[in-house]
Amino acid sequence: MRERTETSEDAVSVEGLVKDFRPGFGLVRKRVLHGISFDVKRGEIFGFVGPNGAGKTTTLKLLMGLIHPQEGSARILDHDIRESEFRRHVGFLPENPYFYDYLTGVEFLEFYARVSGVPRGERPARIEQLLADVGLSHAGGERLRNYSKGMLQRIGIAQALIHDPTVVFLDEPMSGLDPIGRKEIRDLILRLNEGGKTIFMNTHILSDVEMLCHRVAIIVKGQIRFEGGPEDFLSAGHGGVDVVLSQMPPQALLDLEEQLELEVRGQGERIEANVAEKSLPDLLRGALAAGAEVVSVTPHRASLETVFLDAVEQGNQDDGSANRAEGGAR
Amino acid sequence: MSSLGRIVAIAGNTVREAIRNKVLYALLFFGVLLIGTGILVSSLSYVEGDRILQSVGLSSLRLFGAAIAIFVGVNLIHKEVDRRTIYTVLSKPLSRAEFLIGKFAGLVATLWLQVAVMAVAFVAVSLLSGAPLTGGHAAAVVLAAIELAVLVAVATLFSSFTTPMLASLFTAGFYVVGHVTRDLRELGSQSDVSSVQTMTAFLHRSFPDLEAFNLTTHAIHGLPITQAQVVWPLLYGVAYMGVLLTLACLVFQRRDFR
Ligand SMILES: Nc1ncnc2c1ncn2[C@@H]1O[C@H](COP(=O)(O)OP(=O)(O)OP(=O)(O)O)[C@@H](O)[C@H]1O
Ligand SMILES: [Mg+2]
Repeated sequence: MRERTETSEDAVSVEGLVKDFRPGFGLVRKRVLHGISFDVKRGEIFGFVGPNGAGKTTTLKLLMGLIHPQEGSARILDHDIRESEFRRHVGFLPENPYFYDYLTGVEFLEFYARVSGVPRGERPARIEQLLADVGLSHAGGERLRNYSKGMLQRIGIAQALIHDPTVVFLDEPMSGLDPIGRKEIRDLILRLNEGGKTIFMNTHILSDVEMLCHRVAIIVKGQIRFEGGPEDFLSAGHGGVDVVLSQMPPQALLDLEEQLELEVRGQGERIEANVAEKSLPDLLRGALAAGAEVVSVTPHRASLETVFLDAVEQGNQDDGSANRAEGGAR
Repeated sequence: MSSLGRIVAIAGNTVREAIRNKVLYALLFFGVLLIGTGILVSSLSYVEGDRILQSVGLSSLRLFGAAIAIFVGVNLIHKEVDRRTIYTVLSKPLSRAEFLIGKFAGLVATLWLQVAVMAVAFVAVSLLSGAPLTGGHAAAVVLAAIELAVLVAVATLFSSFTTPMLASLFTAGFYVVGHVTRDLRELGSQSDVSSVQTMTAFLHRSFPDLEAFNLTTHAIHGLPITQAQVVWPLLYGVAYMGVLLTLACLVFQRRDFR
């Protein structure tokens, strides 16, 4: 993931949102969000990550005012989300978007420009520019009915950007795109961010997150399990130090492995060992004494994947114990 | 941009959607066809040919107008929710009330376009067969158009919270009851049972009296139409629409789009 300089201002701040759904007509309520809180800083690309059904889309719909929370509140650009005027600074691409298929690409963007309050004189140039940005210049005159899935996703992104918003919310922006399309949209997101826009992105594709996002929140079963940037991965469980050695005699390695509880990867010429911080001096001394060379010593970073899988596991365990507790109470 | 600008944008898009919808043309086609058959029917009769012709014409206009109002009104609002196009629209700086009012205005504009087409057909048929055309006919068409707008407001209200199937049924039911309450009250007041009397009087008061919008008989028989007969229903219709739309906005405001 990418480093960036901190700013203190929040673009989005979410405070204890709770959402229940009533799946049927009955009185049964299903809690989908259990009081989630997190912040998105101005100018960052924020990844909202979680497994299927975790509550990502639900959170986004709450933020967009499409559904109402049972409890909690949220602010976007310092406005309560119940207001509607500040939305001129917010863009939104829904999950699996459907659009007015009787409109052409240009008519479609023209309509959104009008409801978003883009002045008449600016519309044509803006629409042309956006169509070019999302790679649809050739299809502006065609009805959306004849668009492919990837083309719809692109026009959806254009629609979200029509009024040049400050914060852009994207629910799975890469879904339905081919590899070239994914790369184009990634580049577009980076360009938008460089231009100063804050991007909030729902996804479960970790490689996209690693390439794009400055910070993530991981949501599992309606609860936030992790929030932070790469620097926080260090402390998120898997600590220690990675040491790379060369020309290490096998017997000496075995001895040290036993003595210091090393985690060793690789054999022969190049050996990677993960060691607890307190045992680092012993390892280095031992290795040098045995005639090995120390190639590098770096603090161990958990990968996003590790952090993600840990979060999911933690979520499942908590869920299991909660269910048992409930079962016992009955 | 102003609230009005946004409402006009939604209304414009609604009209565009409607006029690109084929079912609408089918209904309109049959409406015009039926108005045309007036010529045939009137030629079969020796007496009062003109009246039969115009009666068939105006009734067709009102009936097909109502069918279009129910079909288009219920469908176009439901479709926004069902196809989730509403997600992107409501994420723009646009209140839900503005959306709903824009939708309503667009539907009424669509409907009035249809009424205009059918009115032209009616005039053409009348001229062809030499039937008289008076201000009474114009008043009848105008009030029919107002009635249809009320019907669209009803459809809008029901669509703001229920399924299209139920919304269509309720709106159609409203239309039918609205046209018989006057007769029901007449019947009820002749009844000896007081509970029947109160019942029918209650129905008459709580449902709008849609017969007030019906000047067909006056028009085709050339009976005099007073100013009050036009102005009162007009004001009544506008007030009723105001109430229905306010209710619809309140319901719509609280709704979860999921
Ligand atoms: N309309 C609804 N009615 C009832 N339950 C719902 C509704 N929409 C979502 N849910 C439930 O809420 C939970 C969260 O759904 P949500 O769509 O927010 O997940 P998600 O994180 O976006 O998943 P995905 O990655 O699959 O898009 C799920 O368990 C789902 O079953
Ligand atoms: Mg989702």
